[in-house]
Amino acid sequence: MTRDRWLNLSERWARLLLRFYPADFRDEMGDALVEAYVDRCRYAMERGGAASVVWLWLRALADSAFNGIGERVRPAVAWRRSGNWGMDAQLVIRRLTRAPVFTASMIATLTVGLGAFAMVFTVVQKVLIAPLPYEKPDDLYFVWRNYTWVPLERGWVAGPDVAALKGAGGAIKDAVGLRLERVTMSRGGTADPTEVAVMVSTADLFDILGVRAARGRTFSPNESGPGRPPVIVLGDELWRTRFGGDSTIVGSEIRLDDRPYTVVGIMKKGFRFMRHSSLGPAESADAYITFDTDLARESPNAGAFAVLVRGRPGAAPKAVAAAVNAVASVIDQRDFRSRGLRLDAVSAKDDLVSRVRPALQVLGAAGAFLVLVLAVNLATLLLSRAAHREREFAISRALGANHVTIARATLLEGALLGAFGGIGATLVAIWGTRALVALAPSDLPRREAIAVDWRIGAIVVGVGITLGLLAALVPALWATRTRLVTLMANANVRGGGGHGRMRRGMVVVQVALSLVLLTTGGLVVRSFERLLRANPGFDPAGVLTMRVPVSRDRFPTLQVATPLHERLERELSALPGVTAVGAASAMPLTANVDQTSFAAPGAPGNTGVQEHDKPLVDYIPARGRYIEALGIRVLAGRAFGSARAGARREVLIDRTLASELFPNASAVGALVVLDGADSATVIGVVEHARQYDIHQDGRPQVYIRNEDGGYRTLSFALRTKRSPADLIPEARAAVRRVDPQLAISDVKPMEDLVGESLRQQRLSAVLITGFSLGALMLAAMGLFGIISGSVSRRRHEIAVRLALGADHGQVLRLVLREGAGLVIGGVLLGVPGIYFAGRAVAGMLVGVSAFDAVTLGAVAGGLALVAAAACYIPARRVTGIEPARAFREE
Amino acid sequence: MGVDREPAVERFLPLRPVEFDILLSLASGERHGYGIIQDAEARGSAAPDVGTLYRALRRLQDQGMIEASERRQARDADDRRHNYRITPLGLRVARAEARRLTALIRAARIGGLLEKGAT
Repeated sequence: MTRDRWLNLSERWARLLLRFYPADFRDEMGDALVEAYVDRCRYAMERGGAASVVWLWLRALADSAFNGIGERVRPAVAWRRSGNWGMDAQLVIRRLTRAPVFTASMIATLTVGLGAFAMVFTVVQKVLIAPLPYEKPDDLYFVWRNYTWVPLERGWVAGPDVAALKGAGGAIKDAVGLRLERVTMSRGGTADPTEVAVMVSTADLFDILGVRAARGRTFSPNESGPGRPPVIVLGDELWRTRFGGDSTIVGSEIRLDDRPYTVVGIMKKGFRFMRHSSLGPAESADAYITFDTDLARESPNAGAFAVLVRGRPGAAPKAVAAAVNAVASVIDQRDFRSRGLRLDAVSAKDDLVSRVRPALQVLGAAGAFLVLVLAVNLATLLLSRAAHREREFAISRALGANHVTIARATLLEGALLGAFGGIGATLVAIWGTRALVALAPSDLPRREAIAVDWRIGAIVVGVGITLGLLAALVPALWATRTRLVTLMANANVRGGGGHGRMRRGMVVVQVALSLVLLTTGGLVVRSFERLLRANPGFDPAGVLTMRVPVSRDRFPTLQVATPLHERLERELSALPGVTAVGAASAMPLTANVDQTSFAAPGAPGNTGVQEHDKPLVDYIPARGRYIEALGIRVLAGRAFGSARAGARREVLIDRTLASELFPNASAVGALVVLDGADSATVIGVVEHARQYDIHQDGRPQVYIRNEDGGYRTLSFALRTKRSPADLIPEARAAVRRVDPQLAISDVKPMEDLVGESLRQQRLSAVLITGFSLGALMLAAMGLFGIISGSVSRRRHEIAVRLALGADHGQVLRLVLREGAGLVIGGVLLGVPGIYFAGRAVAGMLVGVSAFDAVTLGAVAGGLALVAAAACYIPARRVTGIEPARAFREE
Repeated sequence: MGVDREPAVERFLPLRPVEFDILLSLASGERHGYGIIQDAEARGSAAPDVGTLYRALRRLQDQGMIEASERRQARDADDRRHNYRITPLGLRVARAEARRLTALIRAARIGGLLEKGAT
């Protein structure tokens, strides 16, 4: 090859390598760069021949790659080309520090507003969006029995169902049965037993979840079923709180309900397996053990298990649902004579968050609205600041400052403010979420995961900067688009600029947005107020409740446990100030009761329709003076006496059942059949004490004497004339006196229980009220700014009017009319928003229509009042204008 | 009224080695890119890579320390090259950098780093 040919090739190679560099660099330096390469090659050719040229090519490749990419990732160079950003930044910072009030108010507004948004965003992200802490969590499903012939859509499944799902194959990879049990845990016979929630499952739970133990191990395959070794895996929290985080606990023995279990492992921090109870809230486990029975041999009628299914990787939810349903149809045929049993598969996460989703969505939307209001407010502030600087802009432009420079400075100002606001907001959110979690309902799924992490911090700062930029965009565009002539004219003359319309438009938007938020807030608050006033069917004041777990081993049968219950009742009744003591399987509002079928043969209200005559009812074993202790009204007949009279099985039915099956007749004395077999006599009709939601009746209820078919473990209720909280130590001592090995849990006044059931709504109400008041304040500030600016701008015009004979009242009205126009515009714009917001919140409202006239009226009135004040205060300044002085000043 | 808006030279200090090499070469006259590399080689300092050199050339151009000289109508190939020359600012910066380096060397000597036998 000739020398020229080599050089030619070198040049082409160098041109190719230029591709590494960004276009602007290529355009400017490309030719020179290629030249230098060719020079080098020519020199190398002369000295070392072709080999050294090839060596040079390779070096050029490395050099171009390194420098080309380096040039691309250094946007600062590109920036500097159109000016000096460092100088701009200095300038902006100087400008901001020279206006400390403006800067502080901007950053404070952003901090508070974005902070509120960040808190809500954190909760929504962690609860609704973040994946569950399991392997491939999207392939996990919970399966529920849907008894289509009775209104029970989320029934526990039976043992054989689990076995059938496990062996189904196809889209179902595996399945695990689960049951949460509350047991009394003690260590080596020492005192201080506590009740803990234990998740009982087959040995493959952790394999299906795809999680491993932090210390020790999880279960081995042979560790479940009949004759399984008693092993237990502890959750991190239990391990830390009960065992002081002692690693040597692995391998040692603890006792559950007096049976020994060997600790084999401890789970990671942050792992907490949760599942929904059939009808109640989400529940989580403190520790994990395995079944000592074969699920396949359990009764097909006894729905007692939750089941978690892992779909085959990549199987669509529909395919999994179909596979589950195929299993269901087999079970339906075999065990239910094809009555229509269905199995419903619900994505694990959807299942877990189903109860909180609507509220969180509304809160998230409210948060987003607040951010919108904030953005508009920011834009207004920046714009009004820009207006103040009209003259400065005009002079800079006249002196030849590039309009790009002015826009860039304005944008930089916005971004800087946004960044600071975002940082402040992140700090607010870090502290705020802690407070929020403390206030949040204890069954809020994934509660422990709710905390601000660096990613959320980054997002919030990013949102802050974006908001700042967006807000600055308006004034920046305005400053660049406006022609110099107009700018000068505006700066010189007292009239407002063309931007006045833009500012007014933004205030209108603000009013509209805050109107929407206010109505939403108003509705949620009204709904909460309804909840507070709801009559749950019992009297929670003056009642102390507590659960006393009674173990199967020490009290194998109900007959043995009943004397214990009696002794407990006697001891608790003897406490000073206690007027009535009773117990039941579950306290109202805890959604923890069982169900059974109910029939009243020969009742006058029977219609012959199966669903009506044989309803599914809540089955509540109760004893002692439970009805009196809870203050449930007896509507007919009597409640259970302290002791049973004779061998007759007695039941109480609630108002709903009585009115359905015994309309216009007395139910007392009627014979009823429970669960298709057990007959009993109705001795009384009582008020419906709500078991599920405080604002609405649940299923009809039947109370049966606990000794006739109840439980060992009961919740006791004590009615007292004293403060229930003060009674707690004495009640604990009384239980210890009866049996020192008994644990006590959930000791709390009934009013606290009621409060807890309202926690979610209370929190929503508080947050949304805060949001809407914040938005109202921002809108009011916007109005205030507009009117006060308008007064300043129209000083001359007003002076002329006054000089020509108008009185102060007239000019005041003139200014106020401007404000009123803005408010009316905002309201008109907001009305469609109210409609959509109303439809969105309808799901979380109780006892209030989404278009409740009273609420809408009150909100409109409140808004009008605040708007009037925000206009009137600055407008009053016109009365201070004296024409003579105003003219002189010019 | 002073319209001297030339930035203080200290702003640009310290220079990168490649930048100092460029200013040093151009201080004695116009050069094209490869010439600068050759100068550096002749001085015995490590020759910069071409890419590094041109990025530095562009930076210095942006900062006003050097400028591209007008391309003359060429008689021969060499004169058609992209030549650069130093500006008064560039000269001042280069001098300031040299002073800075001298001061550093003096300091190193006082500190005993450059004594004979010190390794």
